[in-house]
Amino acid sequence: MNAHRVTEDELHAYVDGQLDGNRRLAVERWLADDPDAARRADDYRLQSALLHDLFDTVLREPPSDAVHDLTDRLKGRIALNDNRPAWHARPLVRFAAAVMLVVAGAAGGWLGRGEEQRAAAPIAQQRQTLATFAEEATEAHRFYTSDERFQVELGADNQDELNGWLSKRMGRDVFGPDLGRVGFRLIGGRSLPTDLGAGAQYMYVNDADKRITLFVGAPQAGNPSKFSFTQNGDVSTFYWVEGPLAYALAGRLSKEELLKIAEAVYADVKAGPPRRDPPPEKQPQQQQQQQQEQPAGVQPISDTQKAKDS
Amino acid sequence: MSKFGVDLEVHIASLRRYARALLRNGADAEDLVQEALTRAVARADSFQAGTNLRAWLFTILHNVHVNQVRSKAARPQEVDVADVESKLVTPARQEERVELREMMRAVEELPEDQRKVLLLVALEGLKYDEVADMLGVPIGTVMSRLSRAREAVRAKLANEGGVTLRRVK
Repeated sequence: MNAHRVTEDELHAYVDGQLDGNRRLAVERWLADDPDAARRADDYRLQSALLHDLFDTVLREPPSDAVHDLTDRLKGRIALNDNRPAWHARPLVRFAAAVMLVVAGAAGGWLGRGEEQRAAAPIAQQRQTLATFAEEATEAHRFYTSDERFQVELGADNQDELNGWLSKRMGRDVFGPDLGRVGFRLIGGRSLPTDLGAGAQYMYVNDADKRITLFVGAPQAGNPSKFSFTQNGDVSTFYWVEGPLAYALAGRLSKEELLKIAEAVYADVKAGPPRRDPPPEKQPQQQQQQQQEQPAGVQPISDTQKAKDS
Repeated sequence: MSKFGVDLEVHIASLRRYARALLRNGADAEDLVQEALTRAVARADSFQAGTNLRAWLFTILHNVHVNQVRSKAARPQEVDVADVESKLVTPARQEERVELREMMRAVEELPEDQRKVLLLVALEGLKYDEVADMLGVPIGTVMSRLSRAREAVRAKLANEGGVTLRRVK
């Protein structure tokens, strides 16, 4: 039925996240059967990553005075002929722009973040770690949404159980926010090792069977709280730090769509866990013991089994 | 800062990165951006609210660059020593990683048409049709340049990775 052949252009569009849902599926199916093409897609992605590694440093360098002045002048000029609510006046887009700006200015340049910048090197390192965290989240998303059979380790039938178990694994209180108001329901979660210790991945699905994952990790203390966005192929990821935890929300969605969800997650996380259950008392030894007791041993369960719960 | 200013600064950061990647020389890149912004200020009236600001800025930058290249070509080939010096000295930033060095070289060796498309798409994340508009070429041309660029870089990285298998061309 899908006799539509995949074209060369579509492979690029797939890598660049410029393909719509149906064709993306077709490309993925093709890549699954064609290791050469899959390798090419990987190589292309690597090229993009290398380009960013090479040139993102520019974003951290302050612009020349001339460029700075011109920016201000242009701001004044263009703002004048903008007297109707335009695309950039929409709150969502503004938020997106702010997020991008934070990414761009993350290392400080023109954002001038003051006290937190005592030492540039550690900050760069932290960001690196956070970026690594986001990469891991993206990879985990890609991997665990690719096969329905082992998407989650533990289902969301009992959310307290799920949250409690993941909190124990991580040694911190974590919970999967309720994303019902943006159309996604929690189907379960899994615990994953990361560079920064144990991480928790929550998986959600919407009525269109679109999956998103929220990855929670515990970076070293002291990371400044910032929103960042990254796109790897067709997977978009927003990530940020809130309190002692880092969050990465990944999905095969447009930046705008994902942003809406990220805002919901952010609000929920800020508000704290649902109050149905007092946070479990943690004792260090007990915690450790539990971590050992819970190897990858929990049976992978399919969320397809859970269709009946709706 | 105005709502608008935020967007603008993001786009300008993106312009600066693109200029640096295109010219590989910090001073030249900053000059190019400066020239493009000067032009943008002069033409601010032609920008229509609600249209794509980022594409508008990139298009201006592209046109300025094309003109610069053209006028340089028209002039007799005189090279300023200081200029050459700065070019010789600039690299070596953070390319300790072999991969990065190879990527840098592979990108440098691309024909400029291909390099532009690769950078605009893979680094700046512009849409194919935006790139086509900006460069004034059909979208099919954008796609074939992109494809050739990626394959050329891929071949180079693969070659450098191990024993040099072949030096085609």
